[in-house]
Amino acid sequence: MLSRVADSLYWMSRYVERAEHTTRLIAVKLDSMVEQTSEDAAASWSRVIEALTGEKTAPLHQDAFVITRKLAFDRSNENSLITSLALARDNARQVREALSNEVWENLNRLYLRLTPVTMDSIWVHTPGRLFREALEEMHTLEGVTYSTLSHGEGWYFLELGRHIERVQQLGRLLDVHFSAANSETAPKYFDWLVLLKFCTAFEPYTKQYTASIRPQKIAEFLLFDPEFPHSICFSVDRMTEALARVAPGAPPARRAAVERLAGRLKAAVDFGQVDELMSGGVAAFIADITKQCEQIHKALYSSYITYGAETVL
Amino acid sequence: MQHEVFAGTEDFGGPDIVAAPAQASRPGVDAPYANYELGKPYDEMFARDGKARLPYATIDSRISTLPLEELNRRQQACELSFLHQGITFTVYSDNQATERIIPTDLLPRIVTAKEWDRIERGLTQRIHALNLFLRDIYNEGRVLKDGVVPRSMIYGSKHYRREMRGLPVPHGAYVNICGSDLIRNEAGDFVVLEDNLRVPSGVSYMLANRDVARRAFPAVFRSMGVRPIEHYPLELLATLRSLTPFHEDVSIAVLTPGVFNSAYFEHAFLARQMGVELVEGRDLLVNDNVVYTRTTSGLKRIDVIYRRIDDDFIDPLIFRSDSALGVPGLFNAYRAGNVMIANALGTGVADDKAVYAYVPRLIRYYLAEEPILDNVETFLCREQKSLDHVLANLDKLVVKAVGESGGYGMLVGPHASQKERDEFAEKVRADPENYIAQPTIQLSTAPTFVGNGIEARHVDLRPFILHGAETKLVPGALTRVALKRGSLVVNSSQGGGSKDTWVLSQ
Repeated sequence: MLSRVADSLYWMSRYVERAEHTTRLIAVKLDSMVEQTSEDAAASWSRVIEALTGEKTAPLHQDAFVITRKLAFDRSNENSLITSLALARDNARQVREALSNEVWENLNRLYLRLTPVTMDSIWVHTPGRLFREALEEMHTLEGVTYSTLSHGEGWYFLELGRHIERVQQLGRLLDVHFSAANSETAPKYFDWLVLLKFCTAFEPYTKQYTASIRPQKIAEFLLFDPEFPHSICFSVDRMTEALARVAPGAPPARRAAVERLAGRLKAAVDFGQVDELMSGGVAAFIADITKQCEQIHKALYSSYITYGAETVL
Repeated sequence: MQHEVFAGTEDFGGPDIVAAPAQASRPGVDAPYANYELGKPYDEMFARDGKARLPYATIDSRISTLPLEELNRRQQACELSFLHQGITFTVYSDNQATERIIPTDLLPRIVTAKEWDRIERGLTQRIHALNLFLRDIYNEGRVLKDGVVPRSMIYGSKHYRREMRGLPVPHGAYVNICGSDLIRNEAGDFVVLEDNLRVPSGVSYMLANRDVARRAFPAVFRSMGVRPIEHYPLELLATLRSLTPFHEDVSIAVLTPGVFNSAYFEHAFLARQMGVELVEGRDLLVNDNVVYTRTTSGLKRIDVIYRRIDDDFIDPLIFRSDSALGVPGLFNAYRAGNVMIANALGTGVADDKAVYAYVPRLIRYYLAEEPILDNVETFLCREQKSLDHVLANLDKLVVKAVGESGGYGMLVGPHASQKERDEFAEKVRADPENYIAQPTIQLSTAPTFVGNGIEARHVDLRPFILHGAETKLVPGALTRVALKRGSLVVNSSQGGGSKDTWVLSQ
């Protein structure tokens, strides 16, 4: 596969994942805020903003309308839903020949439908509805990708993009919840419940741990559950598998550079213990995982995409 | 109200029953043809007496059973389908990039089997002559020695590539992909207006138009015996393969300038349909006169390049050094015979508007045959007698600069002001060799859906010819439409659209 094509597939997938994550957070937040006091809702919104944009904002001065506009439709916000979708589509357009018609058309249609949306038009009745519908479209896109593309190298680059992005987004989301656990704006019971919903994890969690919502169990589930698709462990497994499947003809030395890093990350997740983490260690653990993902990203590029031609001639 | 953004459907409607022939529609009288004007030009659908021509009878009776809203809905479904597929170009204004679809019209244009037979034979003859001509001028130059074509016209052409002299080209096929523009004159005969021998585009629109027109009128389509065109990518692949001796085990790539090129959709489309790589200049590198692509697993050799980049930009070491689109060293790899490039370089010299005027003579010279398809009558301003005639009749003629395409650098005499004509006359006097003139040709008109009815719009016809080990035409073409009433400019860069072309099997 062309290195440039691999690059575009990888980023297309990262941006789709980012768009989906952003959409889900907004959809869940818009639905759940009605059950909170305005102080709690404001604190919760500022966690969402920090998780999505990295900006720390003071609570209280937040207006859901303004926040939603910024997170969803502000093109000058490089992390907004619409920016992520536009970038995903730009990347897809550059590799139309490597995608199926169905994948391109689903992504294109989603983008074209969200482009003319104004906040005023969605705010009148049920603001969350547009985002729920967009999420459905994104799930369709994921299904169409799974079922219409050959599961060859290109597909594994999509997998890599998706799961590296997911680990990073999930990491940030967990971080903003767990690092504030002992402060005065500490998440309350309802916030932990919402955290599970942010990760589509509420029902899978209750099946595992019953409906008793406890931060330690949530951390265990979202970090280490090997079967749940929005856990760090699950994504790391998919990344490891995908890394073994891309660039089949690359020289062993270049493969080894990437696979060694992946092996180390997998070991960290496989042997992590939640009770060791609970005394403030969750944030450090996540920081370590995120850093390792960045290293894998760099190694992936230097081994398969931006390598110097003189090294292989 | 709030979620209309999630509405929108490409549903083209239920089965399309062909009704028993009703009373034939009369242009200028019956809805939806109330504003249909029959003028001097040949009309594709209606004869001079206002009766629908036989091949159009089926579609006419179908249309007469459809309310205007239904036609409108189907037209919108066609457009939506284009939008979703990304058959768009980008318009920049106020820092906002808006995407517009390449306009498509749902009403098909019909070409009978007999008409197609003549077009096919005529264009086959023409591409043979043009390839013989190219081989000649890049080798012994017989045609120049014999004085059939003036030497200065060839060696002075900015599209003549000295670098190609004496270079062997497989099967002598310099032009492998050609898109010739035909028009139908007042008498109803097809004549050639232009040969596009460099990097002709539009074939993907031919296929995309078929896709929507077939869905808009499924039963009519089925009942009429329309010849299929879907095998075009396969034929293109076979043509490209025939350029190397390896045939099956050959690595082919489509070379595109990139996603910002207006024909990018087509480049990606053809690569996908053929199952070959789509590459940009930056994906390729040349080492020891061999061309490679950079892949995740390492470098991979490329044997044939279908290039969609102009000569000037293809190799900065040989041609324009400021080009970032091309591949340094590509031309030397080509010279060394390690990679085939389609079309060959330097083909532009033969689709120059001045050489065009000589094509009938070239056909007689190389093939000793009479041209099957005529040219449009053309005056070469380089010949004094013609120049005088042109300057005296500027208000009746269309004058074109020979090196330009896409409708640029031309004067449409009857539509220009006296001031414009005077200014243009100065340009022609200053550099007569650079200009040709033709009578104001009347493009034929064809029924086109305009929102509140069906009106006559001018059309041309661009069939695509493939030429490698053998010559092939897929029985179809791009029919380009001048969407503005009365306009003769069909170029998509200047407000033209297109429609499907149905070549009938009998």
